[in-house]
Amino acid sequence: MLGEFEYLLISAAARLGDQAYGAAIREEIEATIGRKCSIGALYTTIDRLETKGLLKTWMGDATAERGGRAKRMVRVTPKGVQAGKVFYDAVMRVSRGASWVPNRTGSAS
Amino acid sequence: MTSVTWSLVEVVAQLLHRDERDAVLGDLVEARSTGWQSLFGILGLVIRQNVGLWKSWRPWLAAFGLALPSSLLLMGFSISISRTYQQVVGPTILKAIGLTVGPGFSLLLCNVLLLISWSWTGGFVMGSVSRRTVWVSAALSFLPCLFCLERFRIDSLSRLCLLLFLPPAIWGVYQGLRIAQIKLSSAIILALAITVLTIPAWSSSGPWIPNWALSWPAWYLVAMARRPGKNAALGRHGRPVERASCREDCKE
Repeated sequence: MLGEFEYLLISAAARLGDQAYGAAIREEIEATIGRKCSIGALYTTIDRLETKGLLKTWMGDATAERGGRAKRMVRVTPKGVQAGKVFYDAVMRVSRGASWVPNRTGSAS
Repeated sequence: MTSVTWSLVEVVAQLLHRDERDAVLGDLVEARSTGWQSLFGILGLVIRQNVGLWKSWRPWLAAFGLALPSSLLLMGFSISISRTYQQVVGPTILKAIGLTVGPGFSLLLCNVLLLISWSWTGGFVMGSVSRRTVWVSAALSFLPCLFCLERFRIDSLSRLCLLLFLPPAIWGVYQGLRIAQIKLSSAIILALAITVLTIPAWSSSGPWIPNWALSWPAWYLVAMARRPGKNAALGRHGRPVERASCREDCKE
């Protein structure tokens, strides 16, 4: 099963779709969790997920905004989508009944 | 970002693979990170990557199972060959009596071939089994060399005799880094040749453990050659990076 940060990264990449690359994913994660995400954690996790076959990366085009440097584009593979679903389902199941989980009417139980 | 800090960032970024360096530096520029943030970010990435490499068995095998013991054993073997050379070939040349050779000449020839083969295969496996940690393996090979060079006390031999194994070993490392694995037929011939060359030592009370400690890389090459593409499929950083659009099979 995925780790917490791996899930965050896969989810961010999936949400960004064709615009998923290092800086964008990092920004998305930081905006979501409200904490800094180090570039080391980001790229080592991308490498690990790619080795597991959950992500696919390739070098995109260079842009002036980036000082003429290329982006490392990221796409979630079908295996990655499946791993994300498994993690999400597990979190939903294990959270059921916890005090911080809103009930069906929308208020916390 | 000051030019000094930027220069430092550029220098540290050299530790990353070219594509990754481009992506990381571009991300830092895009995120408008400060010089120090960029520097520590890249240092953190390099440290994480290098620590991560040691989670695999390969660097441990290359460094502690091969580089360190093999360099010690091969130094001993280099000295042994140098002394045999002095006893067998030296007098022959000094007497200037043509092609007459001493009785141990064939054994000397066997040992020279063995030294070259053991050194080359050891270097090749060291280079191919864990490319990114090859500098650690190399350092672990050189440390015993420095130690022994410092304490070398045989007047009739040059200290350089200790390092006879180095040229073929360095050539092997270079080849291992370049081609990762050799053809199955070549690997089998090499392994058989090494095993046959060790036969003269079997008759004596001979050094069995050192023999096999130095011979296993040749049989490892045979085993690896039976798994085509396993090593070669991985890039320098153990992951393939394409500069092209993603294939259709990656689409969700």
